[in-house]
Amino acid sequence: MTGRVGAIRSPLVGIAVGGTLIGAGVGMLVCAGAGVVQGRDGMEFLVPGLVFLGIGLILFGLGTAADRSTPLINPVAGLFAVTSAWLAAAVAGAVPLLLSGTFSSPIDGFFESMSGFTTTGATLIDDIEAQSDAVLLWRSISQWLGGVGIVVLVVAVAPISGPGIQRAFYAETSGVESDRLTPRIIDTAKIIAGIYVVLSLAAALAYLIAGMNPFEAINHAMTTLATGGFSTRNLSLGAFGTPVQLVAIFFMILGAINFAFYWRVIKGKSVRPQQTEVIAFLALLVLFTAAIAISLELNDDLAGIGKVLLDSGFTVTSIVTSTGYTTADFDAWNSFARIAILLMMFIGGCAGSTAGGMKVIRVLLLGRSAVQEMQRQVKPAAVRVLRIGSRVYSEEVRRAVLGFFLIYVVIYAVGVVLMAIGGLDPLSAVSAATATLNIIGPGIAEVGALDNYSALSDFNRIVACFLMLTGRLEIFTVVVLLAAAASRLREAIPAR
Amino acid sequence: MSKSKTKRMKALVIGAGEVGTNVARTLVTDGHEVTVIEKDPDTATRAAGELDAMVHEGNGASPRMLEEVQASEYDLLAAVTAIDEVNVIAALAAKRDGVKTTVARVRDPDFFRRGQASREDVLGIDFVIDPDRVAAQDIARAVQLPGAVSIEYFADGALSLAEIVLTEDSPVVGIPLAKRERPHPAFIVGIFRDGESSLTRPDIVPESGDHILVSSPTEYVRSAVAHLAGHVEEVRNCVIFGGGKIGLHLARQLEGSKIKATVLEREEDRARKLAELLPKATIMHDEGITTEAQLMAGVGEESAFVACAGDDRANLVAALSARRLGSSLSLATISKEEYTPLIDALGIDAAFSPRLIAAEEILRFVHTKNVKSIHLLRTGFEAMEMEVSPNAPLVGMAIGETHGMLKHCRVGAILHEGECAIPQRGTTISAGDRLLMLGPLGSVTEVEPSFAGES
Repeated sequence: MTGRVGAIRSPLVGIAVGGTLIGAGVGMLVCAGAGVVQGRDGMEFLVPGLVFLGIGLILFGLGTAADRSTPLINPVAGLFAVTSAWLAAAVAGAVPLLLSGTFSSPIDGFFESMSGFTTTGATLIDDIEAQSDAVLLWRSISQWLGGVGIVVLVVAVAPISGPGIQRAFYAETSGVESDRLTPRIIDTAKIIAGIYVVLSLAAALAYLIAGMNPFEAINHAMTTLATGGFSTRNLSLGAFGTPVQLVAIFFMILGAINFAFYWRVIKGKSVRPQQTEVIAFLALLVLFTAAIAISLELNDDLAGIGKVLLDSGFTVTSIVTSTGYTTADFDAWNSFARIAILLMMFIGGCAGSTAGGMKVIRVLLLGRSAVQEMQRQVKPAAVRVLRIGSRVYSEEVRRAVLGFFLIYVVIYAVGVVLMAIGGLDPLSAVSAATATLNIIGPGIAEVGALDNYSALSDFNRIVACFLMLTGRLEIFTVVVLLAAAASRLREAIPAR
Repeated sequence: MSKSKTKRMKALVIGAGEVGTNVARTLVTDGHEVTVIEKDPDTATRAAGELDAMVHEGNGASPRMLEEVQASEYDLLAAVTAIDEVNVIAALAAKRDGVKTTVARVRDPDFFRRGQASREDVLGIDFVIDPDRVAAQDIARAVQLPGAVSIEYFADGALSLAEIVLTEDSPVVGIPLAKRERPHPAFIVGIFRDGESSLTRPDIVPESGDHILVSSPTEYVRSAVAHLAGHVEEVRNCVIFGGGKIGLHLARQLEGSKIKATVLEREEDRARKLAELLPKATIMHDEGITTEAQLMAGVGEESAFVACAGDDRANLVAALSARRLGSSLSLATISKEEYTPLIDALGIDAAFSPRLIAAEEILRFVHTKNVKSIHLLRTGFEAMEMEVSPNAPLVGMAIGETHGMLKHCRVGAILHEGECAIPQRGTTISAGDRLLMLGPLGSVTEVEPSFAGES
């Protein structure tokens, strides 16, 4: 009992939520600035920005003051802190969207904000181009903050450490094994954040050169590296020319590769631990692009092989990296292409990147496990280790990956059913659950490439929020927390 | 003659296990003064009874013990306990005390720096030996040479000495050696029959089941062995019984070849570890002695079976079972000397012993520079490669007319100015020649003076 109470009252929650609110507050103040530049007063961002900054500073201060006196950390505390931080971010992020009049329903604001922070990219806005610069910038900033992870950014900026922070850190970063780059978690966070910032600046510059105006370049740079998918245009990246689309493909791929890989390249260390996953990821992109391009050539009436290759390459990259930009209405493509796009949503990018989905390494590990299970039938006594490339994974990793897959499938099934209960037709329900759990954004059918999520009922929108958060925090964080809460509830009832 | 026998050395051996005892015994046989330090009282007592050497009971790695035996007066220290760390510390401490040459048995490759190929000067120790690794190397060579059960290389690889088991198909069976056809430059130097080994004479008639020792230039060894062995099966897979140090080294060596390795290991954790270390080999978690398990692992025709578990008895039984299943080559490592007579009786082709290998590795430090290498063969022979110094008594003499200078040794091959030749009667020995010779154990010390130049 005491342990679980400790989870909620843990100073870590104050640090994580406080830090997140500080980040969100600063982001809002930046947006207020953008509003002023555009000739408005920017009050809808200035006021909540200052309020959240204030609350954040207080919580953070209380948390860091108390943290020194609590050496023991409840395992659930880290997960609880991360989940609270993300919920707090989504709630805070909804406020300016409501104040600015973009949305009138709190649920819609929360959905849009959650879609932002989780870098899903699903939107409820019909006419994006009608929004003020401040609102557009806020959507982009929320994705950029959520992309590499809010806690990662907090740890990178604030001088905090401790076992709880480590748990929170690993709960937020994706992957099957923790990639510790340096002895101190703060330094690791600084490196990851540094790589993220540098890549974002490079993307902004590239977009500028490719023909975007500065405002668009900054917004798209943030949502590209975060593999988020919010755009400032109704036609998404389809509103821009080929050079911009090529830049987008390049940086979406960079955002979906393990950041530890870059660090090892920079330090001149061996990249063998990550190399196989990266190669497999790139190979999958090429393979899927070829398959989609061939199906388009054979079945659909599109203009020219160059256009077909660009569209299929862009779409595959956008889907597999879980970004969700669109340049073509892939929902109008042939049946094979549509279902292939839906299935490839599950794969996602590399572990330790900003991408969603199950992650390439997990798919590789699952495949290898399945093959080994078949081999076991032939030679029962043979001992096989889980080996991907030159790296050997422990049996714990095998169990964790199999468990992850199992829970993933269950959550997904529940999500599909709930979507259907909420009123979507079967294909749209499948598509909406797939695109939100894997934090992609656009799907097929009613949530297709050129549509948005307006077709969803309020119930569906709440379900989508849950799926996005669960998917972004890689299932376990949220599920373990729910399980802990459920068992606490069971214990509490007879006590009354 | 002023120059007589090799200088008598003072040697300190740390550890009196199988390896240590054999190292000490070999040094004693060679005429050196040996002191042994052994930690375990029972082992020390047993060693004291077996060896003509001073045996102390104590920790060989402790500076106090080294001080007590006055380590500084020794020429050679061989630290050969089963524990790497003890050996390393003993060697370093002895070096500091002024022992001239230090040799340590180190089995864990982590003691070597990455990419360090040489076994000299590891951590400041003069030479590091790893008999398990050498045994695995020897076995891998035998497995990769169809028809041979073991093979040793001399003269930087230019000369080979192969052991072959004769079968009915062999063209030399039933014909006196003098009358055999010689399609290849190969010389049958020794023969091993019914547990007795002897140097060959022209009138010997080889029989099926005999082991023969054949010297040959390495470029011809493959064809010579194939010819002499008669029916030869190419080995396609190698079943390794026991995934200990030797088994792991062997599987590693085979990973680079065309031969597929399958390791049978009964400890589950070890089997996992092996599976991690050996990406290409198949690892099976099984006792490995039953017919079913061996068939599953691929024992049968075109396969070699190597029993190298830590237990001699298990090795013998497993190798016997594999032989019964028709494996083309059946090898075993045997660490205890008392099992040696059983090897032949059980139809095992050849046995390898880390104990002998350790001894031969140490021997190179107690001889003059004339002795280029020594191999102690299981068949009771000593194979040696000797270089003739200028002014040595042998210079100018002809093979077969050395007036007993080569004692009981037989010259198997001669390396003259880089050219290998099978010795003919009357071939003259020149300064700088290297002779590959076979003789009874201890021969090297006897013949050494004949190769040395006057000082």
